Amino acid sequence: MRKFLVICFAILIVFTVLAKEKIIVNSYMSDPAPRKAFADLVKIFEEKYPDYEVVINTFAHEDFKTLLRTWLAAPKGTADVVTWFAGERMRYFAEMGLITPLEEVFQGSRWEDYFPASFKSTCSYDNKIYFIPQSWYWWGVYYRKSVFDKLGIKEPKTWDEFLNVCETLKKNGIAPIAIGTKFPWTAAGWFDILNLRINGLDYHIDLTAGKVPYNDPKLLKVFEYWRQLIEKGYFLPNHAAYEWQEGATFLFRGQAGMYYMGQFIKDVAPTEVKDDLDFFRFPVIDSSVPLYEETPIDGFMIPTNAPNKKGAIVFLKFIASKEAQEKFAKDLGRLAANVEVTPPDEHAKKGLDMIVASSGVAQFYDRDTNPEMAEVGMNAFIEFMQNPGKINSILDRLEQERKRIYSK
Amino acid sequence: MKKNKLTPYLFLIAPLCMYSIWVIYPIFQTFVVSFTKWDGMTKMRFIGLENFKRLINDNYFGLSLLNNIKWMIGFVLLSIPLGLIFALLMDQKFPGHKIYKSLVYLPMALSFVVIGQIWSWVLEPTGGIVNAFLKSIGLEQFAKPWLSDPKIVTYSLIAAALWRQIPYAMILFLAGLKNVSKELVEAAIVDGANSTQRFWYVILPALKPAMVIAITVNIIDSLRAFDVVFVMTRGGPFYSSSVMANYMYVQAFHNYRMGYGASIAVVQFGITLGFIIMYLLNVLKKEERD
Repeated sequence: MRKFLVICFAILIVFTVLAKEKIIVNSYMSDPAPRKAFADLVKIFEEKYPDYEVVINTFAHEDFKTLLRTWLAAPKGTADVVTWFAGERMRYFAEMGLITPLEEVFQGSRWEDYFPASFKSTCSYDNKIYFIPQSWYWWGVYYRKSVFDKLGIKEPKTWDEFLNVCETLKKNGIAPIAIGTKFPWTAAGWFDILNLRINGLDYHIDLTAGKVPYNDPKLLKVFEYWRQLIEKGYFLPNHAAYEWQEGATFLFRGQAGMYYMGQFIKDVAPTEVKDDLDFFRFPVIDSSVPLYEETPIDGFMIPTNAPNKKGAIVFLKFIASKEAQEKFAKDLGRLAANVEVTPPDEHAKKGLDMIVASSGVAQFYDRDTNPEMAEVGMNAFIEFMQNPGKINSILDRLEQERKRIYSK
Repeated sequence: MKKNKLTPYLFLIAPLCMYSIWVIYPIFQTFVVSFTKWDGMTKMRFIGLENFKRLINDNYFGLSLLNNIKWMIGFVLLSIPLGLIFALLMDQKFPGHKIYKSLVYLPMALSFVVIGQIWSWVLEPTGGIVNAFLKSIGLEQFAKPWLSDPKIVTYSLIAAALWRQIPYAMILFLAGLKNVSKELVEAAIVDGANSTQRFWYVILPALKPAMVIAITVNIIDSLRAFDVVFVMTRGGPFYSSSVMANYMYVQAFHNYRMGYGASIAVVQFGITLGFIIMYLLNVLKKEERD
């Protein structure tokens, strides 16, 4: 009996020594490509830091958005690290004290040693950093090179050229612009880029911060340009029935010509199409407005209620490192946030060059705007795409909502 | 003897506790939350009837309520008669009747989430079988974007839900048909009643209890509609197919307006409760009569 107890005790000790500290990461990387890239990254981390065991809980993107708040608000936290978006979406939680400042990640060094100084403001709140960027990407007008070549189309530089391209595609039986608006954020991309091209970045930032009325005449101009495309039937028909990936299959099959989308469209492209995909900068509308682009930043935060904050910091230190950022960017063809990492391929270099040559960047409508306003706004964009004639009443209603939402 | 009387109550304690914690308490909590402004994270602020006042002027809530009424009418007017017809057919013995019965019954075995997914494919505008079929028989003008046209999207969703709701009604009626006394039917035949007369004067009155249950269940199910909408359209495009439960979900969990969401829940609860009370009164009256 005694022997047995001793053995039990010994086993217990061995297990406590060998037991690894758990780091729980809740992730929205649910598309197969990023999911695999992240799992590979975690494997490297576990090899480098054998004391830790990382548990990844993956959730579908849209579910993640609603679940995150319950994880953050629960008194007893479950996740140590969560994926999220920089900008207003992060700030919203920082303001409520639901996420932790991450200065510890940079011990003995500065933000600027890791990331571009220009990213700092969008990753911090009240002069404290709350967000570790992992990768970022650009938005562009994606198309298939072979389709453009076959029809003799050149990348359009101006609005008129863009309209011509649409017309040529339509004449050839191809839906000029693919889009899937079952989840309405894809339409917000169009709103953002048109507003950036017509009214510029400062105006756009004021608008997304709730400082500009939605029935402002300057904003109406954005919808007038948008309306030209809708009324000529350039958008994929029945787009409200499709998710963005389903909309993309029309592009991949050559049934749609162009798709204004983030670089992550390549994640879902079949291999035989991937190399045929290219993008161009959204055409100039008003040549007096400098060029601005959309470049959302993805990364990680630590909830205030995280059970294993120490481990979480170790993990994020690794995530910020050149090695980890390089690996992830390479696997997905995105741009790493880390300044030491060069673009992983030609395509990414083209994207980076486009951003470097631009005069400024925005995150994205639903990342720059208060969540409630974003929900109402994005649904209004879809309503506009189906009933462009109702734009005045749609904007008036948005203005009422803006007043209510920002008055609290 | 005394001990025996106590036993059932002892057995009830555990489920009753759980029921109170997970069902009764949240219902009361919802009432409390509906009088507040709360984002689910920071402190609640009491604002009285403000949420309900807002609901009255909220066009999208009105639209959701209207859609619920469409669901109700669709469920009652279609699943009851069709369910009855299927039940009468399936009650016969004919070659292969078991196969037919299983085929009709099959959707009942699936959850609304699965049904929503299947029907998303069926109604897909370009490759879906409905439009493909219409095209193949030369009725292309009737092919429609079933799920993205705000005018028809709610009816498409109801059609998908009916696929499960009709067999459900059928089951209720089949059970009811088992209670129709054979002697009465035979007596009617002897008296020279034809089949129509037998149906109207013998079978249908005997089915009345099943009918009341079927109607009540269908009304309540139509008020609860959520899963099919959530899977197939998420209430879109721009809330046009939204129902109350769906709009509540969007307000509470997307827009961070727990108080407002709770007030929608309270309204929905009130309406449902009204129908349940009506049903109970009906049952009580009947018991008194018996």
